[in-house]
Amino acid sequence: MEFLLEINTEEMPASHIKTGLSQLKEKIEKELSSNRIPCHSLETLGTCRRLVVVGDFAPGEEDREEIIIGPPKAAAYAADGSPTQAAIGFARSQNAEVGRLEVMSTPRGEYVGLKKTTKGRPTHEVLAAALPAIITSLSFPKMMKWGEVNLRFSRPIRGILCLWGGKVLSFSIETIRAGGLTSGHKLHSPQSFKVGSVHEYRAGLKKNRVILQADERKSIILSQIEKRLRPLEAQLYPDEELLDKLIYDVEYPHVFLGEFPEEFLRLPLEVLSVAMREGQKLFSVVREGRQVPLFLGVADALGDRKSLIRRGNERVLRARLEDARFFWQQDLKVPLAQRAAGLGRVVFQEKLGDYADKSGRLKQLVAYLCDKLDEKKHRKDAVQAAELCKVDLLTDMVREFPSLQGRMGGLYAREERYPSTVSQAIYEHYQPAGLDDPLPSSNVGALLSLADRIDSIVGVVGIGVQVTGSSDPFGLRRHANGICRIILDRKLLLSFDHLLDKAISAYGDMLEKSKQEVVEYCRAFFRQRLRFIYEQQGYRYDLVEAALGAGMDQVYFSYLRLKALDALQRSPHFEPFILMAKRVNNILRGLPHFDLNPDLFSEEEEQELWSSFCIIRENGLGLMSQGEFIKAQNMLLKLAAPLSDFFGKVLVMAEDRRVRQNRLALLQAISELLMGMADFSQVVVEGEKKGKES
Amino acid sequence: MSLQNLILSLQKYWSDQGCYLAESYDLEVGAGTMTPDTFFRVLDRRPWRVGYVQPSRRPNDGRFGENPHRVQKHHQYQVIIKPSPSDIQKVYIDSLAYLGIDLAVHDLRFDEDDWESPTIGAWGVGWQVVLDGLEITQFTYFQQAGGVELFPVPVEITYGLERLEMFLEGKDNMFDLDWSGDVSYRDLRLREEQEFSEYNFNLADIDRLKKSFALAEAEASMLIDRGLLLPAYDMCLKCSHLFNLLDARGAVSVTERVKTIGQIRSLVVRVAQKYCAEQGRT
Repeated sequence: MEFLLEINTEEMPASHIKTGLSQLKEKIEKELSSNRIPCHSLETLGTCRRLVVVGDFAPGEEDREEIIIGPPKAAAYAADGSPTQAAIGFARSQNAEVGRLEVMSTPRGEYVGLKKTTKGRPTHEVLAAALPAIITSLSFPKMMKWGEVNLRFSRPIRGILCLWGGKVLSFSIETIRAGGLTSGHKLHSPQSFKVGSVHEYRAGLKKNRVILQADERKSIILSQIEKRLRPLEAQLYPDEELLDKLIYDVEYPHVFLGEFPEEFLRLPLEVLSVAMREGQKLFSVVREGRQVPLFLGVADALGDRKSLIRRGNERVLRARLEDARFFWQQDLKVPLAQRAAGLGRVVFQEKLGDYADKSGRLKQLVAYLCDKLDEKKHRKDAVQAAELCKVDLLTDMVREFPSLQGRMGGLYAREERYPSTVSQAIYEHYQPAGLDDPLPSSNVGALLSLADRIDSIVGVVGIGVQVTGSSDPFGLRRHANGICRIILDRKLLLSFDHLLDKAISAYGDMLEKSKQEVVEYCRAFFRQRLRFIYEQQGYRYDLVEAALGAGMDQVYFSYLRLKALDALQRSPHFEPFILMAKRVNNILRGLPHFDLNPDLFSEEEEQELWSSFCIIRENGLGLMSQGEFIKAQNMLLKLAAPLSDFFGKVLVMAEDRRVRQNRLALLQAISELLMGMADFSQVVVEGEKKGKES
Repeated sequence: MSLQNLILSLQKYWSDQGCYLAESYDLEVGAGTMTPDTFFRVLDRRPWRVGYVQPSRRPNDGRFGENPHRVQKHHQYQVIIKPSPSDIQKVYIDSLAYLGIDLAVHDLRFDEDDWESPTIGAWGVGWQVVLDGLEITQFTYFQQAGGVELFPVPVEITYGLERLEMFLEGKDNMFDLDWSGDVSYRDLRLREEQEFSEYNFNLADIDRLKKSFALAEAEASMLIDRGLLLPAYDMCLKCSHLFNLLDARGAVSVTERVKTIGQIRSLVVRVAQKYCAEQGRT
């Protein structure tokens, strides 16, 4: 039967609409399934003014057959077959005639029992009882109260429409009573109207200027954009985030095209697009990749025949661009180097000092990174970029448009004719901003980004902040992901521990936690981030664990190890080799270290294994230290044959203690070598499971 | 329609909605929210309806009268209705129609914009109301003031009068607006903007401002102890304005800023708590 729920609200933020709808869906489905009501379909729809659920559910809960076991048969009937007091009592307690008791066989023997059929509740009863609690339990990133209603929600609820099988399904939440009315567009068709079915609802909204489906609004917007731009041979500068928001902001989209004076094209693109996007939610327009003095806006309107909406937006945008130009010109009057003196007045974090302190640390860190990573020729530029990269926090432009931080500094540095290495590094040092955001394109930009992030992480961890599932106020996950992505992308060979050490000592005695505590927290934290990144790339969980288990001081090596393991996993050697490695580990479990004395080897197979091992170790270690993990792994695979012979012919647990310990010492050496490649004990193979079962 | 007529229309409209029409408060404030007609009246449980013009001073926004849409003093039309009526959004939209705006041919949007004033421990949830891209009103369900959770919940509607008038007159420069038929905004306000910008940014004596701040703070504290909450709150407003002046002079570092705002807020919170205790609620 047909179900329709519409919660009418004042304008909700786009993010709230999405979470509201997904919670509604989940909670209603759960309610249905826990009441055994089959759900044939359930769809959610929404705009900023309505959360809508449309469904098709069975008319009622399925009838339930229950069996209630009573006393044992022997105790229930006397020898003559008449019911005993026990049977009579049981029947009475179940409100049933004694005659309805049946004998049932159970695993414990024969008992008397009763079959009971409970009629299922009709769906409308279940829903009417559950919906108030479902609606009031929705949670939003920020909640509010209104009027005298004792309820928190995203924005005020102004009405509820609820139909079941074409009839009003009535329930109340505080003073709000669900009924059969809804209303159209708040400006263009605000009157209420009665609805008797989903079909009527959809048709009524369409007639009253509300496009209910988000994807329909999206395609209307995109086709109108296309229509406006095609004659101009221009293109929309794509901005998915803005589009996604606008789709929910409007109930009846109308796209308008406006222009601004060409003189503003002298402003940097970044500034133009931020002024358009952040102030007025306007899209930029480009032709052959170059900004043109046009913009696109999405209005919640039937049209703009008199061009009032377009002209109004043009006027507001012009004023904003004039402001931006004023900021640009004012900011350029004070050179960055001179402005840098003000960094001491901007707090980085209360317990971690100001941005002058931070710049000082960044200078040390980038200098270190340049030395370590063979970028000595850029050392001077990198240090200069570190010194200036935070200065734009003091400019009017960044105060007005905080999202331009970094990029603005880079643009000002370029205007001041700093070397392009410097300006580009400043420009890029907040990249990547998110998981899919592009990485810095220049070496120095990448190093500065890395230095800035490790500095923030070490500092914040150092004052005792911990990242938990829900709480990451300083965005440390984002910083750590950024560092890992930069290292992997640029194949940087950099000791993580040394970097931590540098970053911690740059703070002097500012940190509250001991160096040891910070290092341990950061290691675990980064390990977790790497695991996340690798799994996102589709690598097997156990292989990721095995690769990381061999250490992550060289972050990039952990990736190479993983790639080698991934290759191995697809080769026929995989399973036997893993099983062999595990066998070695199992024998050694819990044993102390033994010294190895090659003179004690007596059997041919152990001598053979020893000499192969020596050659393999020498070559393998060399390859590993160069990061040649695939070759190293192929080298290690050569251990398989002699090791197999060894296990086949030689008794490891020899009677003679010295012989036994010497053989174990050999296996320990092998295990240690393998551990340089990966922690193979983490790898899961089929053969192992079978082995365990048998 | 002149700015003066805009004000008259709003007064008439909100008076018809049952609002008491207050006069502007006679102290420097940053926004209509800060005057006693809003601050105290939202704290208790009694119904309240008020509308008034409030000249609002923000020294940092001064531009020496040279910027066509930024000034150190602008005018707000402030409406408070408690509890917020269920049709309040429609009542507000109708007020725009009452001003002669034909909403059928414009784009009116309620864009998420939660409002917050750390100085008076206040925040609310709501929107900036945007008309063809121009922000004309802040529409807020007031959730907290003086650190006190508000219930019943008041709605606060704050029209930016100059912005709205620029829309109505279709002008790009605030100083070109007509205050009345004969008097322009420039006639009335240009010299004031020039002189106050000079004072706020360049001449205000930092030491004397700091001393004044300390005096007002001490006075507020004494008055709170003696239970004279309205005078105490006036002293808090003076502190707030003195702080804004110091800020415009560039005399407040970021750390000091946090500290000073915290000082003012803690005074305001004490005022609010005492007031609520008197009203039989905390």
